[in-house]
Amino acid sequence: MSMTKKTQEELDRWSKEVKRGAVTLAILSLLSKKRAYGYEVVKLLDVKMSFLALEQGTVYPLLRRLEKRELLKSEWDYEDPTKPKKYYTVTQEGLKALGAMSQTWSILSREMREVVNEVE
Amino acid sequence: MSSNDPLKLIEQYLDRVRVYLPLDSEDAIVELQTHLIEEAERIGEDTMTAGSAMMAIERMGEPKSVANEYAGSGEKVGPVPAEYVNPVSRIIVVLIGIAAAFTIGASMLGVTLTQLLGADIQNWPVSIPIIIFLNLFIIVAIIGIISMFDREKPLTDKTTLETIFGLGVDGFKPKGRLDALGDLISGIFWGFVLMIPGVIFLYTPAFAEFYMFVVIFLFLGAVRGALFFVGGENNFNLAFEGVISVIWIALAGPLIRIGWPLDSVYVYTDGSWGTYNLLEFFQTNDIPFSFDWIWVVIMFVTVAIAVWRILVSSMKITMHIRAGKGIWWQGNWGERRSLRTPLWKRILGEHDQFQKKETVYHDGYTEPDESQ
Repeated sequence: MSMTKKTQEELDRWSKEVKRGAVTLAILSLLSKKRAYGYEVVKLLDVKMSFLALEQGTVYPLLRRLEKRELLKSEWDYEDPTKPKKYYTVTQEGLKALGAMSQTWSILSREMREVVNEVE
Repeated sequence: MSSNDPLKLIEQYLDRVRVYLPLDSEDAIVELQTHLIEEAERIGEDTMTAGSAMMAIERMGEPKSVANEYAGSGEKVGPVPAEYVNPVSRIIVVLIGIAAAFTIGASMLGVTLTQLLGADIQNWPVSIPIIIFLNLFIIVAIIGIISMFDREKPLTDKTTLETIFGLGVDGFKPKGRLDALGDLISGIFWGFVLMIPGVIFLYTPAFAEFYMFVVIFLFLGAVRGALFFVGGENNFNLAFEGVISVIWIALAGPLIRIGWPLDSVYVYTDGSWGTYNLLEFFQTNDIPFSFDWIWVVIMFVTVAIAVWRILVSSMKITMHIRAGKGIWWQGNWGERRSLRTPLWKRILGEHDQFQKKETVYHDGYTEPDESQ
């Protein structure tokens, strides 16, 4: 089924809104498993979550905001002086937030699946 | 001008981004730098070339938008587009600093503002809106014309406007660690030199009564150097710098009135050291030149620098307080990192890690990196 221009616009708008909420959960989940620096996070999101493939211009400011909100902490690695890496890890506060968010996400996705299935 | 060196291209691009970022954004620049290098290496299949660096840069986008995304500001701040807020505020501070330094320096020399301006304003106050309108028109026209010339420039080249906006960037950089060490050593050295009896002997009577204040100031300068050397740039050190700059401005008044501080200098004649009276030399030879004027110029420059330091210190302290920082922390030093190998290392045969790499094809053909 080909999409009309209007449908495409609506899909783009809706995707943007869903991504906005999902990306924080995705970043916290990825970083709770292993620490990573900005470029790695961008590439991980690109590989693991095609829907969330975000530009660096979105990921880096988000990492900085999450750090400011004390959900992430960072430390610099200067091992390679030409490519210093700022590694991000999830804080205790971040882990708590991640737990709560994951639980809510599970409920939401289950309920959404049910509702969408009913419609179909 | 665009280069063929991929690291230089990245540095040039980041210089453009830096112009639009807030003062304390070096972390963001380093993150972007690592991102660009890794992306360029990925595009070039583990080898960074000028082409792959340029592609990485193009993917990142316009410096203005990149900086705006990082600064996290809104679309507009008041009437000014968000991406121009940082450079415009910096250039305004630079202009205020120059004006304040010039005014204070000139007034210390006894020159009034009306004398500086040279002429009385006619048709007061009707002339004011007309002058403002004409000046705004001229500014808009100039900006429009120079922007036209910049349209075709690649992403790595600074536009003329960015060059102007970037004027303030260097003036706001933290003090380098080596500069701080220099302040410490020279403060102690000159402080002791001024107290040597053989040097005191050369002073004019007026300066001989005053020189201990200068010695104390030099030692305070050494303390400032030590503080910056140990702690980098933090609120305590900035406040200390501001206070000693105020002290210097206070000392400058009496020092200008005292005039040239040396009566005579040491000379070596007929196999022995003796003193030679400078004033007598100028008077007997009818030279219409006075050391007092050299002294006035030196004092003017030092007062202007002190005013600038007060302005920058107070601005940075406000910025750090807004960022929730306290009084003392391990701050940064202003050394500029360079991605490329310094010249002395290159002369010794050490090259950038990227430039060592060569492209090796599966058929065994080896192509040197295009940056070489």
